[in-house]
Amino acid sequence: MKELLTSTVILVILTAASTAQAASIYAGKSTAAAVCSQCHGIRGTSADAPFPPLAGRDEEYLEMALKQYRDKTRVSDIMNNIAGSLTDRDINNIASYYSRLKIR
Amino acid sequence: MKKAIIKLNRSILLGVSSFILSISCVQASSDIHKLYEDNCASCHGSDHGGYLAPALNSETLKGRSPTALRTLIMTGSFETLMPPFFGRLGDKDIRSLVKHLQSTPKLDNPPWTIEDMKASLKVYVKDESKLPAKPTYQIDSMDDLIGVAARGKYGRGSGSKAVFINSKTHKIVGEIETGTAAHIIDFDPANERWAYVKTDTAEIFKVDLYSMKAVRSIKTGYNGPGMGVSRDGKYVMAGSFVPHNAVILNANLEPLKVIELEGVDPDGKMVSSDSGMIIGTPYADIFAIALENAGQVWVVDLKEGFPITKIKNVGRHLHDAFLTHKGQKLMIASYDDSVVIAIDLKDRKIIKKLKAGCVPHVGGGAAVKIDGRTLGFGTNFGTCENNTVVSVWDLDKMELVKQIPVSGGTESPAAHANAPYVAVDIITKDRRARTIQLIDKKSFKVVKTLDVGGHAYFPEYSADGKFLYVSAGYAGDEVVVYDSHSLKKVASVQMESPAGIFSRGRVKYMTRGLSPDEME
Repeated sequence: MKELLTSTVILVILTAASTAQAASIYAGKSTAAAVCSQCHGIRGTSADAPFPPLAGRDEEYLEMALKQYRDKTRVSDIMNNIAGSLTDRDINNIASYYSRLKIR
Repeated sequence: MKKAIIKLNRSILLGVSSFILSISCVQASSDIHKLYEDNCASCHGSDHGGYLAPALNSETLKGRSPTALRTLIMTGSFETLMPPFFGRLGDKDIRSLVKHLQSTPKLDNPPWTIEDMKASLKVYVKDESKLPAKPTYQIDSMDDLIGVAARGKYGRGSGSKAVFINSKTHKIVGEIETGTAAHIIDFDPANERWAYVKTDTAEIFKVDLYSMKAVRSIKTGYNGPGMGVSRDGKYVMAGSFVPHNAVILNANLEPLKVIELEGVDPDGKMVSSDSGMIIGTPYADIFAIALENAGQVWVVDLKEGFPITKIKNVGRHLHDAFLTHKGQKLMIASYDDSVVIAIDLKDRKIIKKLKAGCVPHVGGGAAVKIDGRTLGFGTNFGTCENNTVVSVWDLDKMELVKQIPVSGGTESPAAHANAPYVAVDIITKDRRARTIQLIDKKSFKVVKTLDVGGHAYFPEYSADGKFLYVSAGYAGDEVVVYDSHSLKKVASVQMESPAGIFSRGRVKYMTRGLSPDEME
């Protein structure tokens, strides 16, 4: 009985977690690795690189910036192109992933 | 008369303007070559002939769209070391670089003479007697040191360094900035305080491991990773891809003799050759050097005049090798004919050529004692009949024992007498590149695949065999440490684009996998 209770509790927690964030962080990780990390790194960028690090940045800010780049309300040759290929969901995932990473 | 003056004036004007034009052209083309040297050459070769990265010249880039090349330079290339130059180079520079690359043929080897080398010697610590008498940091044994060659994102800059880690605490104990990408770290077998670091632009740094300072450096060429240290620690030898030569240095990095690398290849053609691996051996006072393109192995005796014995017809495209049998035998891989060749360094003869694997790249090699036999584990870049394998052969009999299927091409095996698995890095350019595979020494089967992240390569065990270090290179930017038995991740060490990992323990067991207690 106790076991059943425990596993139910775990199940509930897991479900809650996955609907809230878990799945998107995982997807964000692979999108970040494939799309962003080449320039922005994962936990940090090269000291010699002109690109801002994304790890640990505010989630809402990241989301807003990416959407502005996509809509071309913020202008950058490279970022307009790259963000242009991202869906709303990709952007949420990426922002969610990077904002939760600890900075190097 | 007036007319004549006008004519004269005109011709002076023409002369002057063409003179100015030619100056500005020379200026522009030397500027652009400097741009190439400063940003591209450490990977693509100072002669435009390719090195770690493809050759960039009028032949190889013929017909390529300049726009596509410009984009590639700006954004970099995923799954490779090519970084994005957006923001580092201006649009104008990138455009002129593309133009320059598409119009420049592969250059003749630029000379780098013994005089150039001597002039490049830098002394950072004048009085070595004032260096500390023991390590200035906590470490049980210097064998616990692990050196990592960090490339730096751009193959140069502040991220390019040799990083030394205490493999018991997994903490960084020292860093040596190398300017350009560090590639090889060799430890002095005779004196634990010294190590040598070689960069992709062929500088060698002599490092005092007690104080973690570079004491000297010298530029031995333009490009090339080849380096070895003699068993008595008295000599260092370095070889280059550009130009085609090798140099013997004393332990103060003073060049003693330069050797031109050329010879008749197995197909009867006289060729000038890149330098492949260079190795010192505990067996004798010699260096062995592979001539990549000439397919020869040269044995250099470390005595008056440095006489050379040339072993010819070894194979087509030799690259790396490892030692066995107390350092008397050399196992060298030949890419183009997919054989591993055993060479006896005593008789200086080929013992046997063994068909093993496909495009074998044995890396630092691994030799493992299993049930009374000593077996070599060889990694392979290439694919054999739809299969990628790790080749295992009997090092005494030179007979193939097994081709173990693995999930992709591999370039470096790690083994340790006290660790149950042989680790190999999967380099196939897709998600598999993030992984390494662990082969059980008993069953010869892959028992585990670890997702390390980044481009995972160059596994290495700590000297006690308790930990497995792996570089998560490219965008991974960390070295990941696993417990060698449980394979659980125990630590991560951050650095920019880590590549080769070198345990000081190697000087004890010579080849990874052999017992550290008795030289075999």
